[in-house]
Amino acid sequence: MGKAVEHSEILLLDGGMGTMLQAAGLPLGQTPEVWNVTEPEKVAAVHRKYVEAGSRLLYTNTFGANRYKAARCGYAPAELIEGGVRCARMAAGDLPVKVALDIGPLGQLLEPLGTLRFEEAYEAFREQVVAGAAAGADLIVIETMSDLYEVKAAVLAAKENADLPVWVTMSFEASGRTFVGTTVSAMALTLTGLGVDALGFNCSLGPKELIPLLAELRQWTDLPLILKPNAGLPDPATGAYHITPAAFARELLPALGMGVRIFGGCCGTTPDFIRELGTVLTAFAPGERKTDRRFGVCSAANTAEFDGVRVIGERINPTGKRRFQQALREDDLDYIIARGVEQQDAGAEILDVNVGLPGIDEPRMMTRVVRALQGVTDLPLMLDSSDPAAIEAGLRAVNGKAIVNSVNGEAAVLDAVLPLCKKYGAAVVGLCMDRGGIPQTWRERAAIAERIVEAALSYGIDKNDILIDCLTLTVSAQQSQAAETLRALRWVKEELGVRTVLGVSNISFGLPAREHITVSFLTQAMQAGLDFPIVNPNSEAVMDAVASFRVLSGQDRDAEGYIRRFANVPAEAEKPKASGGMTLADAVMRGLRGETAALTREALETMSEMDVIEKLLTPALDRVGERYEKQEIFLPQLINAANAACEGFELIKKQLAKRGGASVSKGKILLATVRGDIHDIGKNIVRVVLENYGYTVLDLGRDVPPQEIVDAAVREDVRLVGLSALMTTTVVSMEETIRALRLSGHPCKIMVGGAVLTPEYAAEIGADYYARDAKQSADIARQVLG
Amino acid sequence: MEARLTGIERNEVLHYLGWPGVGLSKELAAAFERCERTLLDTARPRAVWRLFPLLPDGRLEGTGYAPAGESVRELLRECGAVVLMAATLGTEVERLIRRAQLENMGDAVILDACGSAAIENVCDNLCADLADELRPRHLTDRFSPGYGDMPLAEQRELFYVLDVTRRIGVSLSDSGLMLPQKSVTALIGVSDRPQPKRHRGCSSCSMFETCAFRKDGKSCGAL
Repeated sequence: MGKAVEHSEILLLDGGMGTMLQAAGLPLGQTPEVWNVTEPEKVAAVHRKYVEAGSRLLYTNTFGANRYKAARCGYAPAELIEGGVRCARMAAGDLPVKVALDIGPLGQLLEPLGTLRFEEAYEAFREQVVAGAAAGADLIVIETMSDLYEVKAAVLAAKENADLPVWVTMSFEASGRTFVGTTVSAMALTLTGLGVDALGFNCSLGPKELIPLLAELRQWTDLPLILKPNAGLPDPATGAYHITPAAFARELLPALGMGVRIFGGCCGTTPDFIRELGTVLTAFAPGERKTDRRFGVCSAANTAEFDGVRVIGERINPTGKRRFQQALREDDLDYIIARGVEQQDAGAEILDVNVGLPGIDEPRMMTRVVRALQGVTDLPLMLDSSDPAAIEAGLRAVNGKAIVNSVNGEAAVLDAVLPLCKKYGAAVVGLCMDRGGIPQTWRERAAIAERIVEAALSYGIDKNDILIDCLTLTVSAQQSQAAETLRALRWVKEELGVRTVLGVSNISFGLPAREHITVSFLTQAMQAGLDFPIVNPNSEAVMDAVASFRVLSGQDRDAEGYIRRFANVPAEAEKPKASGGMTLADAVMRGLRGETAALTREALETMSEMDVIEKLLTPALDRVGERYEKQEIFLPQLINAANAACEGFELIKKQLAKRGGASVSKGKILLATVRGDIHDIGKNIVRVVLENYGYTVLDLGRDVPPQEIVDAAVREDVRLVGLSALMTTTVVSMEETIRALRLSGHPCKIMVGGAVLTPEYAAEIGADYYARDAKQSADIARQVLG
Repeated sequence: MEARLTGIERNEVLHYLGWPGVGLSKELAAAFERCERTLLDTARPRAVWRLFPLLPDGRLEGTGYAPAGESVRELLRECGAVVLMAATLGTEVERLIRRAQLENMGDAVILDACGSAAIENVCDNLCADLADELRPRHLTDRFSPGYGDMPLAEQRELFYVLDVTRRIGVSLSDSGLMLPQKSVTALIGVSDRPQPKRHRGCSSCSMFETCAFRKDGKSCGAL
C-alpha cells in the first residue's frame, strides 16, 4: 500500500472522528469506541461522509480500543475493533476505499519514565493487531504517538502478528520534539530501520507548524510521508478550532512540493476539509523527493549522525576489569550504568555495551543493562556480543537505532546475525577476520571486508549502515601489524566506500606510558579514514586528539567545538587533598566526596579495610544520623553525608575486588515501592543510606506486584524486607504484599515507610517495624541484621 | 495564554524538605542555587484549560461529568461556569529528577522539592492569567481531586474531558497517579460575584496526602 502512493497520485485520508461523533451526540469524555457496538449506524455515517468527500482510506474508530483505555467502558478491545472495522467497511461498500486499523497510544507511560513494561505494551498491541487483522483491515495505522519506545512495541506487534502494511504517525510540539522528548530524526531512523511502510505526523499542530518539521523528516528517510494535521490550534476556552477548510488546504500546499503524497486531517477537521484538500492538491503537480539522505544511529532523544568522527565509549565491558565483573555477578546495575553516565560526561557519543562473562545469563543481562542505561543517558548504543541471543535481546530492548558489534567473515555468523540487524534496523560492525583468525596482511583483511559488505547488502542492509573494523593488534607483540591495519582501513574506506570502526586502545597494551602510543595511533587511523574510534573517553589526551582532528579535517566548523572545549579550562584542576587537619568524620559530615575518598585512601595505608569501616566510616555516619534526629541538620545533608561515605566504601570495595576477595556486606535487604505506587524517591533515599551503612540492597523498583516481592525474598533468602507506599490508595497493596509474604512462610522481618503511614497504621497492616525516615530504617536494619 | 514558570519560592522548597530553621551551610546554599537554576532551565511548563457552563443538574455542559462532593458544591454555589485545568512541568523535569537520583541523591531531593514549588508557581500564574482573561467575572480558589471530600478518582474524568494526555502529555496510571509527577489538575469556579478565599488550610493543599508537617500534627504555616 505504501508502494501504491510512492510514485503516483495523491492519497486522501479522512479527517477528525471524535469531533464528528460529538456533533452526532456523543458526550465529551465518553469512550467513542463504544459506539462501534451500540451505535454502528452513526459511526458508519461519519465514515460515509468522508468517503463522499473523497477519502480513499478510512481510519477505524478504534483509537483507544486497547485493554487499558477500554477497561472503563466494559467492552473487550476485540469487540470494539471488530465493530470498528465493520462500521468502516459498511461505509466503504463496493468503492475503492481501504480500511486501516487505527491504533492510538495506550494512555500509560512506559518504563523508564512510567511503569508500563515494554512486554506489556507489546501484548496490548498484539491483541489489537490480531483482532484487526481477523476483522479484515487492509493495513495498520499507529498514530498520535509521543513515545518512540511505545511505537516500537506497536510496530513489532503489528509486523510479528499480521501480514499487513504498517504506517506510523507521531505527534510533535513546535520545538521538534514530542512530549516525551522523541526527536524527528530519531523517529525517522528508527522506523525506517524497523521497516514500516510509510511515516509522518498527525495531531497536536496545524499545517503551518508542521511544515518545518516535515523539512527535517524528509532528510532522514526515503519512505512515503504522511501528513494529518489538526485544524490549526484550538481555542483554549472552548476547545474549538478556527481555521477554514480553504486555509487548511492552502497551508498544506508546501508539503506537496516537498514530496508528501498522503494527506488527511486530525482534530477539528471535517469532511469539508477533505473535500477542499482534494480540490486544491490535485490542481498542482506533486514535487520530487530529494535523494541525498542523512544517516546515523540514535536513542529516542539524541542522534549521532554519520557525518564525521564519532567517539564510541569502551568502558561498559568486563574484560580485564575485576570491579566490573563483580558488579555483573552481583547484579549491581547502578555501578554499570554509572560507567555510561561518566562516559557521556566525558564526551562519548555512542556507548559500547558488553556484558558477556562466563556464568552470566547474557541475553537477560543485556536487556536489563540496555533498559537501565536508557533511563539515565540518551546516547545511542552499540550492542557488543558474540551471542546472537544476547544481540537479539538487546535489539528488542533498545529504544532507537543501535549498532550491532559484531559479525565477521564466517558464513554461519553472517547468516545468524545479519537477519537480526535487518529486522530491527540496526547498523552492523564487520570484523576483518574469519574461521582462520585474523589475517596478517592488509589484502586478506580487505578481502574479508568485501565479503562482509556483500553479505550485508544481500540481506537488504543499507550500505550506509555497514561499519568495517580492520582490527587493532598489540604493537608490542606484533609490531608490523599497526601499518597493515591502517593500510586495510584506508582501502576499505576508499574502495568499498563504507564507514569504519576500530577499537584503538589495544594498540598500546603491554607498553609503559600507553597513552602516547594510543593517541598517536588514533590520529593516524583518523587520517586513514576512521569514523568511529572505540576508546576510553575518560582519557583527556584521547578526547583532545579527536577535538584537534575535527578542526583539521573541517568537521568542526570554525573550530567552535574545539574552542568550547578549551576556552574555560582552569589552569590546574584542584585535586582534593587530605590536608588541613580535616578528619574523615568531618569530611563525611560535610558531604565532601573528594576529601572523604582521599582520607579513606590515607587511612587504608595503616588500617585494614574492616577497621576503616568499623572504626571510621560507620561512626561518622552514626554521628550524622544523631544530628539529623536532633534536627541539627536536614534531609539533603543526611543524604550528602551518606553519599560522601559511599566514596569511601567504594574505594574499599575496589581494593577487595582487586585482591579477589568477596565484597563486604552486613546483610541483604530487599526494597520495593508497592504495586500501584510510582512515587519512589523516598525508597531511593532509604536505599542510598542503607548501602552506605554497608548493607547490600536488592532494589526491585516501583509498582512492584506482591508476588514478585515474595519470589525475590525467597530466592535471595532475604531476612529484611522494606516496603514503601506514598498514598493512602496504595497502602492497600502494601497490606496485600505483607499478607503474601507471611503466607509464603518465608522467615523475614518487614519494615514499612511512606508519607501517610503511622506506627499504629503500620502495626495494623501487619508490619514488624515502622520506619519514620531513612535514618530509622538503618537503625532497624542494625537491629535485625546486626 | 502560555503556561508560565516565573520563579521558585525558596522558603517553600525549604518547607517541603522539613527544614528545621537552622542556617544553611555554604555547600548547601550552593546546592539550592544550582538546583533552582537547573530546574528553571529544564522545565517546559504546559497547560490546558477549558471553560464549561455549569448546568442546573451539576453537569458541565457538553460532557457527562458532574463534579462530586459537598466541598465542590459549596465552592461552586454562586458559579455559572467552571474552568477545568491541567498543568505540568513536562517529562523533562521527571527525567531530570530521576537521573539525579542516580547521580546525586542530595541534589535529587532538592530538585524534587523545587519541582513541587515550581508547579505551584505555574498553577498560580495560570490562575492569574485566567482571572484577567475572564474579567469582569470572578474566580474561586483552585480545587483539585483529593481536596476536601472530592474523590481522587475524579482525576480520570478530568483527564478524559480535557484530553489531558493528548494535549499536554500527562498520563494517568491505573492506580490514578499522574506522570510526570510534577503535574496538577484542578477545577475553578467562575462567578459574577466576587468569591471569598474559602479553602485555606491543609485540606486544600496539593501536599495534603504526603506532608511531613501534617503527620507530626504541625503545619508549614504557608496557608
